[in-house]
Amino acid sequence: VNQHHTITALVQNEAGTINRLVSMFRRRGISLASFNAGDCEQVGYSRLTMVVDGDETLLHQTVKQLEKLIDVVEVDDLNDNHSVNRELALIRVDVGEDDRTPVYNVVNEFYAKTPRSTVRSLFIEYAGSTAEIERLLRALEPYGIGEIVRTGVVAMRTDG
Amino acid sequence: VRSGARIVMEALVREGVDTIFGYPGGVVLPLYDEMLNWPQVKHVLVRHEQCAAHMADGYARVTNGVGVCLATSGPGATNLVTGIANAMMDSIPMVAITGNVNSWAIGKDAFQETDIQGITIPITKHNYLVTNVEDLPAALAEAFYLANTGRKGPVLVDIPKDVFIAKTDVEFPTTVSRRGYSIPGAPPAAQIEEVVKLIAESERPVIIAGQGVLASGSSELLKELAEKAHIPIINSLLGLGCFPRSHELSLGMMGMHGEAAATMAVQEADLVMGVGIRFDDRLTGDTKTFAPKAKIVHFDLDPSEVGKTVNPIAWVVGDLKEALTSLVPQVEPKRHEAWVSQVKDWQSKYPLHVPEGKFLSRTVLRALNDHTKGHAIVATDVGQHQMWTAQFYKIDAPYNWISSGGLGTMGFGFPSAIGAKFARPDEEVWAVVGDGGFQMTLQELQTAVEYGVNVKICLLNNGYLGMVRQWQELFYDNRYSHVAMGSPDYGKLADAYGVKFFRCSRTEDLEETLKQAREHNGPVLCEFVVEMEENVYPMVPAGTNNSNVIMDPDLPKTTAGAVK
Repeated sequence: VNQHHTITALVQNEAGTINRLVSMFRRRGISLASFNAGDCEQVGYSRLTMVVDGDETLLHQTVKQLEKLIDVVEVDDLNDNHSVNRELALIRVDVGEDDRTPVYNVVNEFYAKTPRSTVRSLFIEYAGSTAEIERLLRALEPYGIGEIVRTGVVAMRTDG
Repeated sequence: VRSGARIVMEALVREGVDTIFGYPGGVVLPLYDEMLNWPQVKHVLVRHEQCAAHMADGYARVTNGVGVCLATSGPGATNLVTGIANAMMDSIPMVAITGNVNSWAIGKDAFQETDIQGITIPITKHNYLVTNVEDLPAALAEAFYLANTGRKGPVLVDIPKDVFIAKTDVEFPTTVSRRGYSIPGAPPAAQIEEVVKLIAESERPVIIAGQGVLASGSSELLKELAEKAHIPIINSLLGLGCFPRSHELSLGMMGMHGEAAATMAVQEADLVMGVGIRFDDRLTGDTKTFAPKAKIVHFDLDPSEVGKTVNPIAWVVGDLKEALTSLVPQVEPKRHEAWVSQVKDWQSKYPLHVPEGKFLSRTVLRALNDHTKGHAIVATDVGQHQMWTAQFYKIDAPYNWISSGGLGTMGFGFPSAIGAKFARPDEEVWAVVGDGGFQMTLQELQTAVEYGVNVKICLLNNGYLGMVRQWQELFYDNRYSHVAMGSPDYGKLADAYGVKFFRCSRTEDLEETLKQAREHNGPVLCEFVVEMEENVYPMVPAGTNNSNVIMDPDLPKTTAGAVK
C-alpha cells in the first residue's frame, strides 16, 4: 500500500553530504515528497526529515540504503502516533484591506499569524501538521491565495 | 611539518601499498615530484586512466587487498569513472586519488576542473574533497579503512593542488572510527540456529556461493560446510574460485549462461542458501519463478541486500567468516546421496559441449584449461568469451578469477590482468578477451612492454561483438545491426608494440601455440581466429524462468526438457 513515510536521520556534515543523500534517492528511484535539513543539538551534525512515498518494502529498502551511507549516523522510521510532525507554511492571500475580516476570522480560528500585510495582500504564517495546513489552505481558498511556500515536514520522536 | 603530497606517500606506505597505477597531469605535479623520493612505492604509468582503475581492480581481486589508482583533475578524473563504477558494482576495495584545481579556483570553471566528487557520489562507497591539508591524514586513513572493511568498495579522495603543497604537522589517526559506521560482526546466534534447523530438515539443499566468500576469506569454511552437510556448491560468476571446481560437490556457475545442472539444481532444491551473493538478475532470472520449491536463506553482511530481489525465509546478516565459523560445528553431519546423485546425473546428461571438427572459442578455452590445469590467474573481458571462460576454465583456487560481473565493462580484461600480474608476479596470468573489448584498451600493450609484464593474452577473434550478435540472432530475427567488427592486423600491431605474437586458426596448431606462448617470458598476444558465429549455451533469456533453459542445439535431442 502506497503511503507517506516520515524518516529522520542524523548525519555528519561534510562536503557533499546532502548531495550524497539526495543522490541515493534519485538513483534508486525513491520519490521524495519532502526533504528537510538543519543544524541540531550536536555540533558538526545535521538532523534531516524526509518524507517518502511508497510501500513497506520500499520504506525498508530506503532505511537500509540510508544507513549504508557513511555520513549517516542513525536513521529512524517514524510512526505518526509516536512523533510530532510539523510543517511551516507562508501563505499570501490577495485580498484588499477592506475585505479582510473573514480572512482574519480564519486566521484566528487556526491560531495562525500575520507577520506582514500590504495594500493588496495579507501574509499568513502557520505551523502545524500537514493535515492542519491542508485544512487552513482549504479555508483560505475562497479569498484568493496568491502564493504558498511550505517547508516540508520536520519531525521528532516522542516515545523515547 | 610536511606537505600534503608527502602525506599521500606516507599514507600509501602506512597502508602497505607497494604498487599504484596512475597518470600525471598539471594539478598532481606536486605529488609526482614527491613520488621520486619514495622508491618503495612503484608507480605504473598507464596509457589511459580508465586502465589505471582496472589495473587497481585486478590487483585488488587477486590479493583481496586494496588497489590504488591515481589521476589528475578534469579528464584524468573522469577517465577513472568507468573503472570506479566497475569496482563499485563488484564491491572491490579501491582507493582512487585525484588531483583538483587549487581550492580557491574550485567552482570557477578553471582549466581542467571537474566536480569529480559530485560525479562519483553514486559510484563510490564514500568520497572526499579535502580542501584543508590538516584534514588530509584522516581522510586518507579513512579512505583505506572504508574501502577494505564491511562491504568493500571504491573510495575516492579528491585533493586540490594547493593542498598537495600546503604543510601541516597533523598526524595520522592511530585508529579510524566513524560514528554510524561499524564493521559487521558475528550475526545473532538465533539466525545461525535457524539455518542449522533448515539444513537438518532439508533433503535437497544447494549453496550458491559468491564473492562474499572470497572477500571474507571463508573458502575453507565453505568447503567444511559443504562436505559436512553434503551440499552441492554452485557459484555466481564472481564467486568462481571460492570453491574448487575440481571438487565433487562443485556444480560450477549458474544463471543466464550457467551450467544446466547448476541452474536445474536450484529450481529443484528444497533449500537454497545464498552465501555472499546478492541474487542478481543474471543469476535469478525472473525472481517470481526462481527456486520455486525452495526455502531461501540469505547470508550477507549488507542488510540492504536481504529482501532486495528475492524474499528469503531466513537470513544471516553479518560477517560471513564469523557466521560460518559458528555454523559449521553446529551443523549435523549428513549425506544427501539421492540428491547429489540426481544432480550428478544432470551434470552428465547436460554437459558443457564442444563440437569437434570446428575451431571454436570453446575449443581454445578447453585447451587453455587443460594446459594450465586450472591453475593460472584468469582475467576476462565481457561477452561470450567471458561466459565460456566461466564455463570451461575450471578455476581451482580462490583469488585467481577476475571478471567484470556487475557493470559488464568491455575493455576490463586486459588491464585487470596486468594489475594482477603486478600483484602476483610469480604466477601465470592470462587475459581472455574478445576482438571487441580488446580494441577498447589495447593501448596498454605499451604498458605491458615497458614494465616487462609477463601476461598472456588469449584473443578470441570472431569478427563480431559476439554476445550482441547472439541476441540479435535469437531475439531480433537475425537482423545484425552494427555487430560485425573489423580488427587491425594483430601481428603487425604486436610487432609495432614489440609484443610476442602467435596466430592460430586450426585446432591442429592449438597445442603448440599455447605451449610456446606459455614458455615465452614476456607479454604474448595469441590471436585465435575462431568460428564467427558460435552461441553461448545453456541460455536463459533475460528476466525469464530459469526452468526454461535453452540447451545447446548441437547436443543430442534426447536430453531435452528434463527439468519440468
